[in-house]
Amino acid sequence: MRRIRPAVVITVLALALTSACSPASSGAAGVPDAGQPVSGGSLTWAVETEPITFNPHQYAQAKARLLVWNTFEALLTHDGQGGYVPWLATGYDVSSDGKTYTFKLRTDVTFSDGEKFDAAAVKANIDQFLVEGYNPGVLAVQLRYLDKVEVVDPATVAFHLKQPDVLLLDFLSTPQGAQISPKSLKEAKNLKAGGPELAGTGPFVLDRYTAGQEVHFVRNPRYNWAPSTAKHQGPAYLDDITYRFLKESSVRVGALTSGQVQIVEGVPATDEALITANPQLTLSRGLNSGSAYSYYLNSANAPFDDLRVRQAFREAVDVDAVLDGVYRGTATRAWSVIGPTSPFYDKSLEKTYGGDAAEANRLLDEAGWTARDAEGFRVKDGRRLTVRLVQSAPFVRDRRDVLAQAVQAAVKQSAGIDLNVALVDQGTATQALADGAYEVFDNSRADTDAGAALGLLLHSGGAINRIGVKDPALDTAIEQGQASGDQAKRTEAYRQVQKFVITDQALVLPLYAPADQLAASVKVGGAGFEPTAGVPGSAYDIWLGK
Amino acid sequence: MTIALPRPESRRLTLRRPRPGIAAALIVLALVGTAVAWPALFAGDPLAADPLHVLQAPSAAHWFGTDQLGRDVFGRVVHGARHSLSIGVAATVIAVGAGILLGLLAGLTHRYADEALSRGFDALAAFPLVLLALLFIAIAGTGTTSLIVAIGIATLPHYARVVRAQTLVVRQAPYVTHAVAFGASRTRLVLRHVLPNVLGPIPVLAMIGLGEAVLIAAGLSFLGLGPQPPSPEWGAMLSEGRGYLHIAWWASVLPGAAVTATVISLTVIGRHLQGRFEGRHQ
Repeated sequence: MRRIRPAVVITVLALALTSACSPASSGAAGVPDAGQPVSGGSLTWAVETEPITFNPHQYAQAKARLLVWNTFEALLTHDGQGGYVPWLATGYDVSSDGKTYTFKLRTDVTFSDGEKFDAAAVKANIDQFLVEGYNPGVLAVQLRYLDKVEVVDPATVAFHLKQPDVLLLDFLSTPQGAQISPKSLKEAKNLKAGGPELAGTGPFVLDRYTAGQEVHFVRNPRYNWAPSTAKHQGPAYLDDITYRFLKESSVRVGALTSGQVQIVEGVPATDEALITANPQLTLSRGLNSGSAYSYYLNSANAPFDDLRVRQAFREAVDVDAVLDGVYRGTATRAWSVIGPTSPFYDKSLEKTYGGDAAEANRLLDEAGWTARDAEGFRVKDGRRLTVRLVQSAPFVRDRRDVLAQAVQAAVKQSAGIDLNVALVDQGTATQALADGAYEVFDNSRADTDAGAALGLLLHSGGAINRIGVKDPALDTAIEQGQASGDQAKRTEAYRQVQKFVITDQALVLPLYAPADQLAASVKVGGAGFEPTAGVPGSAYDIWLGK
Repeated sequence: MTIALPRPESRRLTLRRPRPGIAAALIVLALVGTAVAWPALFAGDPLAADPLHVLQAPSAAHWFGTDQLGRDVFGRVVHGARHSLSIGVAATVIAVGAGILLGLLAGLTHRYADEALSRGFDALAAFPLVLLALLFIAIAGTGTTSLIVAIGIATLPHYARVVRAQTLVVRQAPYVTHAVAFGASRTRLVLRHVLPNVLGPIPVLAMIGLGEAVLIAAGLSFLGLGPQPPSPEWGAMLSEGRGYLHIAWWASVLPGAAVTATVISLTVIGRHLQGRFEGRHQ
């Protein structure tokens, strides 16, 4: 019976001790840097999130965006001021009624499978969205007013809308608006999952994907159509690049400090000191655009069908203290559903709610949750005050699971609310959402135009309206924001949206503005963040110093 | 290795000075036992978070420091003893109970049923324990109950095989044949004459098996398949703390040390009992 195996524990302990004691690399005399851009070399990049799909039309994870632009490109991109810059298009015109957008296209672009990029290809991509079940979310929001796409000539394509919609331009600059070779669209066996069989026009070609481990890209030698926002023209510097999926932040940071990878994204606040203390490494941060990471409170289910309980939940959390504990002062607190970098952000919401435990308890008493059970949770009619949060593992980033536990402890301690957190696989989470078996839905979106996020999350027809909100006035405000090209009108419309969900209805508990971190060896040059979106950029401008 | 048949002299109590290893193991088990029975004696609320004091090093106020949510690691380790131990004990009880039943059944029924049951035990035993438990959890879902049942099923063949082997020996023993000759009923035969005499090695086996069960439970919890956060379970604490190893070793190393100390102690005692049972320490 010699079958005792303390090996598991001993291995873990040994790992613990060795990694705790591993020395930071010695400070060399004269810190080297990447020098001037040079061609050649292989880069290994550790990323936190494995994409659930490589088809850009199906793009859903902000953390996967840095992979999309290696292989695929869109008609437009953003400059640093939030404006649009031509990419695969050379320019566009809007008709005076705002209902027709005409794009002139580059004529020198080919897909990596040899197909030519032209107006017919653009039409094929948009038509793909009209296939039932392909991507209902995009169809319901970004393309909801699309009438048809017309091929005027090979270098000209016109989008006809049923009514004015400014989100069309944003859509054509997002991963979902990226252009896939029409041949791939027709022939790919597993179109929705994507992978090596989907050809794009980008500076790299995806040639190998090992699920759970890594994805590998090689340079596209014919590439010569970078947008003006890129730092160079012509083919990419790197010969090839491997992205390794390392979910554990300590493993990513360890891989960087030990030299197994040259660059990592997603550095938790607790590990930042390890990077900054090492002269061989650099650290940079970018604040994302789009919607803030928030808890959306499901008003379709009890007990959140009661406004007072929603308000109490929000008052029960001291968000600043929780963020300080989990992110050690590196997180930017969010006060609205829209991120603080967006032009539509309503600053007047700041410090208008939250963190008042006495108020939370008063509201709950008033709502009838007066009794307490043995564990200290509030009870009404024999039912515990329980709310459920279901987190889907592929979407958990920035230690949001730890943050959930901190909020869980906070609402229990200050108001006796039982926040039940379950971290599950995507299938289970999808099922829970479909069954309405949740009261808290967590989400952040890195849309460059926050309006897209609001339409998806809060419009009564939004694809991820998970909180049962159906309000005609709210719908109208969201639609107005989407219809007008006038910034002042849009700001006013979105101010009303924010007032409704934050101040009036307490449907949202905003937590923090998502940010990305890049830590790299000093040998890596040209790594940075996408303008406006604030997420790590593609590998196009990156070089490896000798 | 095989379990030798009980020798009469091994049951005799002998007065000897306990060896230091045994003494240390007993002390550890006594502490763990007290923590299981009465955790409040040592520590306060294991779930009380304090976001202003996260990842603090061990100090007089927090003997084992605080974790990523500012919870007292010592308090969590103490309260975790109940979670981790009760999973191990419950799983072992299931395994022993089912093992005795199935072992007896295999040993007493006719040849074909015995063959079928024995090959079943072989098949179960051929899988690594953790894999078998994972398989069960994949079907039954995560949570404390399914973790207990999973480990119970995975460790059942140990006991069943021993009971079957003992039964085969005992059923040939003269006192059984005599009882048959005296016309004892089948039930009486099994309960009065067979069962008491096949159980000899089981307590020793169970002691060693308990250590193993605790270890597997901690391992599976480490993978997130056991009690869900914020429950203070040793394996889960190890898992939660590992993201902070660079800056706060205490949040994961100390729960790990608790698992290690408990499992080693259980094993040392189990081995000692096994030695005495086989008469090796005479």
